[in-house]
Amino acid sequence: MIATLDEIRVSSPPAAPDRRGAFPVDTAVEQRPDHALMLAVRAGELDALGELFERHHGPLFGFLVKLTGDRSAAEDITQTVFQRMLKYRHTYRDDGSFATWMYHLARRCAADHFRRSSAAPRATDPSDLHERADDAPHAAQNASARDDQALLHVALARLERDDREVLLLSRFQELSFAEISGILECSVGAAKVRAHRALRELRDIYFQLQNMKQRVAGGE
Amino acid sequence: MNCQSARDTFPALLDRRTTATEHAEARAHLAGCPDCQREFAALSQTLAALDALPAPAPSPRLRKNFHALLEAEKNSAASVRPAAPRTHRASLWRWILSPALGAALLLAGFFAGTRYSAAPASGPAGDDATKRELAQIKSQMAKMTQLVGYQLLQQQQGPTNERLQEVLAAARSDQPSDGTLDDLIKALAFDPSANVRLRALEALYAHADREFVRSGVLASLPREQNPLVQLELIDFVAAAHDREATPVLEKISRNETIDQSVRDAARRALAQL
Repeated sequence: MIATLDEIRVSSPPAAPDRRGAFPVDTAVEQRPDHALMLAVRAGELDALGELFERHHGPLFGFLVKLTGDRSAAEDITQTVFQRMLKYRHTYRDDGSFATWMYHLARRCAADHFRRSSAAPRATDPSDLHERADDAPHAAQNASARDDQALLHVALARLERDDREVLLLSRFQELSFAEISGILECSVGAAKVRAHRALRELRDIYFQLQNMKQRVAGGE
Repeated sequence: MNCQSARDTFPALLDRRTTATEHAEARAHLAGCPDCQREFAALSQTLAALDALPAPAPSPRLRKNFHALLEAEKNSAASVRPAAPRTHRASLWRWILSPALGAALLLAGFFAGTRYSAAPASGPAGDDATKRELAQIKSQMAKMTQLVGYQLLQQQQGPTNERLQEVLAAARSDQPSDGTLDDLIKALAFDPSANVRLRALEALYAHADREFVRSGVLASLPREQNPLVQLELIDFVAAAHDREATPVLEKISRNETIDQSVRDAARRALAQL
C-alpha cells in the first residue's frame, strides 16, 4: 500500500513552553532582545544577565542533559556557562548573536566536563532494561514508553559527541542553520550535512537496539 | 530521481526549516515508492521518539547559585573599579617623584658636604644641626634606596605588558609543555600585576585535570590578597572539584578580614565540593 506524504509526516517538535508566563510581564514595556541585554551586561549592567538567565537556562539545561545523559553534570555545566558569560562578558561582540555565543560556551564547558571526568554517557545493555521493567500489569504501557526512551538515550549516547551535539542543536534549540554553523564554526552546508548524517546514524543505532530488545524478549 | 538521491533529502524533508516547495522531485518520488516510504517512516519514527524525550527541569539550586554568583560579581566589580584609577595615579606619582627625589638627594648631599668642609670644628649647637641634617639625609637615602630597589625589581621582571604578552603566548599554546605550565603557575603565584595573575589562571583552566596544576593553583590561594583574583581562584578549585582545597576554603570562609564576597564564594565552593 502506498501512503501519502501526510500520513508519514512526522509531527513538529513540541513548542517550547512560554517561560515568560511564570513571571509578571509588563506588556506596555517592550522586552529587550537577547543581544541588547548582553551588550548591557558587557557595559556593566550585570543585572541584565538575570533576564538572560531566566530566558535561556531551561533550554540550555535540557540540551546539556541530553548531551551528557547526566542531570547533575548538566546543572553544573549550565552554571559554568553563565559564570563564563560574566567572566568573558568583555569578549561579546557587537555583531554577535547571543544564542550562538551561549551554545558555543556550552560546547566548550561540556568538552571540559567530558575531558575532566571521562564521563561520556555509558551505553547500557538493552537486556538490563528488560530486567528492570515494571512487573505490574497496569504499568505495561508506561514501562514500554520508558523502555523506548531509555533505548533512545542509549542510542544518543552511542553517537559520536559531535553528531549528538549537532542533532540536538538542530532539533530542539530553535536555532537556524546559520546559527548552528556559527556555534560549530563550520559552513551552513556542512552543518546541515552533519545534522542529517547524525539523524541517520541515530536511526540505525535506535533500530538495532530495538531489534536486540525484541530478540531478548522473544528468547524468554 | 532514483531512490538514493531521494533518500539523501529525507532528513531535510523532516526538518521544520524546510519549506513545502523545496525538494519537489524527492516528494514526488516518495509518494510513489514503498521502499523509500519505509525508509522515511523509520527516520520519522526516530525523530518522533527523540521529540518525545521528556524535558527535565533543573533544580531550584541552579537559580539560587546563579543569583549568588551574580551578586558576588557585582560586589567584586564595584570593589575593583574604584581601585584601578588609584593604582594608575600611584604609578604616575612614582615616575614624577623618583627624579625629584634623586635631585633633592644630590642637593642635600652637596649642601651637607660644603657645610662639613667649611666648618670642621664647630660647637655643640653646630653638631646638633649637622646631626639633624644627617638624619634627614639618611631618611631620604633610605627612601631613595627603597624606590631604586623597587624599580630594579620591575626592570628585572620586565614591564607588565611584556609579562602579560608572555602569559598570553603560553595560553595560546595548544599543548603547552610542563615548563610552560610551571611558568604560568609561577606567574599566578608571584607576579605583582593582578591582570597577569588573572590571565595566567585563565590559561591554566584548560589544564585543571593535571594534578600539579591544581596543587599550584591551590598553593596560590592563601597568599592572594586581591579579592577579584581570590574569587577566580576559588572558582577554579570548585570547577576542578579539587577536594584538597577544602581546608583552605574553610579557613577563608571563616576569616572576617577577607572580603565578604570572597567568603561567600568559598562557602559556595565548599558546598559544591
